[in-house]
Amino acid sequence: MAAITIENVGKTYAGGVPAVQGIDLNIRDGEFVVLVGPSGCGKSTLLRMIAGLEEITEGTVRIGDRVVNRLEPAERDIAMVFQNYALYPHMTVRQNLSYGLKNRGTPRDEIVRRVDEAARILEIGAYLDRKPRALSGGQRQRVAMGRAIVREPSAFLFDEPLSNLDAKLRVTMRGEIRTLQRRLGTTSVYVTHDQLEAMTMADRLVVLRQGRIEQVGTPLDVYRNPVSTFVAQFIGSPSMNLMSGTVRAGEVRVADAVYPAPGVPDGAVTVGLRPEDFALVPGGARAGMPARLVNIEELGSQRLGYFRVGGETVVASFPAGQVLSTEMTLYPDLSRLHLFGADERRIDPAPLRAGAV
Amino acid sequence: MQTKRTIFGNRWLPYLLLAPQLAVTVIFFLWPAGQAVWQSFLREDAFGLKTSFVGLSNYTRLFDNAEYINALKVTLVFSVSTAALALISSLLLALALDRTIRSSRVYTTLLVWPYAVAPAIAGVLWWFIFNPTIGIMPYLLERVGYDWNHALQKGDAMALVIIAAAWKQISYNFLFFVAGLQSIPASMREAAAIDGAGPVKRFWTITLPLLSPTTFFLLVVNVVYTMFDTFAVIDATTGGGPAQATMILVYKVYDDGFIGLNLGSSAAQSVILMGIVIALTIIQFRYVERRVTY
Ligand SMILES: Nc1ncnc2c1ncn2[C@@H]1O[C@H](COP(=O)(O)OP(=O)(O)OP(=O)(O)O)[C@@H](O)[C@H]1O
Ligand SMILES: [Mg+2]
Repeated sequence: MAAITIENVGKTYAGGVPAVQGIDLNIRDGEFVVLVGPSGCGKSTLLRMIAGLEEITEGTVRIGDRVVNRLEPAERDIAMVFQNYALYPHMTVRQNLSYGLKNRGTPRDEIVRRVDEAARILEIGAYLDRKPRALSGGQRQRVAMGRAIVREPSAFLFDEPLSNLDAKLRVTMRGEIRTLQRRLGTTSVYVTHDQLEAMTMADRLVVLRQGRIEQVGTPLDVYRNPVSTFVAQFIGSPSMNLMSGTVRAGEVRVADAVYPAPGVPDGAVTVGLRPEDFALVPGGARAGMPARLVNIEELGSQRLGYFRVGGETVVASFPAGQVLSTEMTLYPDLSRLHLFGADERRIDPAPLRAGAV
Repeated sequence: MQTKRTIFGNRWLPYLLLAPQLAVTVIFFLWPAGQAVWQSFLREDAFGLKTSFVGLSNYTRLFDNAEYINALKVTLVFSVSTAALALISSLLLALALDRTIRSSRVYTTLLVWPYAVAPAIAGVLWWFIFNPTIGIMPYLLERVGYDWNHALQKGDAMALVIIAAAWKQISYNFLFFVAGLQSIPASMREAAAIDGAGPVKRFWTITLPLLSPTTFFLLVVNVVYTMFDTFAVIDATTGGGPAQATMILVYKVYDDGFIGLNLGSSAAQSVILMGIVIALTIIQFRYVERRVTY
């Protein structure tokens, strides 16, 4: 168990392309941090630098109170779960789990005890004598987890461990991993490009973009207060609607409707609204946006309406069974209205923030 | 594995397409092989006037013949040493490539060249390098106090043919080892590194076991190679000498048949060789499909 401190870490691969730059991050002891971002943003690179599989070209990484920059992976007291599980195909499950302990000279009966304990926790006792190829994807995933937990390391590192599983198993396994991690209280860094996985598992989310940290926060914080249009669109599904608007004299005009935007400087802005933040009836003194229905998607628990609003496409979600007609007026929840400046950064009009939680 | 089936419109077309290959196989392999088997049951008298059927006598005589037993031993030493030398050196080269320059084409290409060299030329090449009067190696060896002479020293002669034969095979093995190494996922080695295994331990416990199908395949190929294709290497360097020290089975077939003109015995020897290859091939197919796959 240990905190992981990342200070001004950067990575430049041979060839001079910086993959990761200026990362500052404090991962608390026992915390489950998810690194999320689109493909190629440097998630794996950052994780592999923590693991010691990639040389750190800039900055320092500390695990516990040790600077680990120069330490071999084995000396960093971490365990990693790989996307392809990386189980040793020529060893039985038991040998797979024992390998790391054996290499560290753990006494034989201690190995047996820990492997049996891990097998019990992960319910893989029945296949201890099988080779990995005789296991299903989900079972392999568990064995990979088992290999991590028998070592009782101070941190778990996960690189997209669930992306080879089918959708249903993925949901089950993410719950299991989280439950297990809470029970063991081991600091964890988890890489995924799946924002839903990130939202559901994380204590704290780290959104990466082109090798830099875009935003760090709890899932809800990031969801409710995205710092940029990038985060706004990346987190949440369907993603946030972004419409172009103009601010003049403390008011923002978007799709023929005008809303208060006190203290926001005049100019072009991007107005963000999440699909669930629309209503079909006016509440209070809100102005509506005239909208024409183009398509409906049924999700069972809710319906998604696709509208043309002032030349842009807007998605809004409604409870199942909500009647939608061709010409309608959408009333946004003003407390959930997001404004982004020309630099794509969030602008917070102070009075609006008050009701935003 | 899924095999793709092609449907032919005309049912004779596939046979027609196969015909050239079949003809080559029949004329150059099955026919001579049959001849050899038939010959091995015959014996000619000293003047080649009369040929008589002698049953298995040619075979039984072989195993009473000290020279033949010697050839068996020489072949064993030669095969095992050549295969070991060729396998180990090519694995070392492949590991070096895999470790450092993952994609250097030049390096790979250079290492593959020896395979394109004909065995006889490889033999002559090494014969020159080790030539006691003009060669570079005897000169260097002399400086460290070793008096090299493969025309007189049995050990030197054996070493020479082993080196020449192995050198030729290294490039072939190398290609397979490189392919084998590249097919081991990097994450496997990384997982082992995190599991506390150093490079040496990783090699013995992860890389080598995962390479075992390749290694086993190459072992069989190399042994078969040393038993047959090395004829030219021997012929160009030592000619089986000195005092039969490098007289391997395949060279003895030639020596007895074409030099000694003892066709019956020579045929019996080639049938035994053929038996050995068939056995090796069967072993390979059975094992590659079972134990060696992990
Ligand atoms: N070994 C390498 N050599 C050179 N560049 C690399 C290397 N590995 C990764 N990169 C580059 O570094 C950047 C970050 O890669 P990284 O693998 O960390 O992305 P990622 O966020 O994990 O993406 P994904 O979701 O696709 O796995 C990419 O632009 C990639 O091309
Ligand atoms: Mg990745």
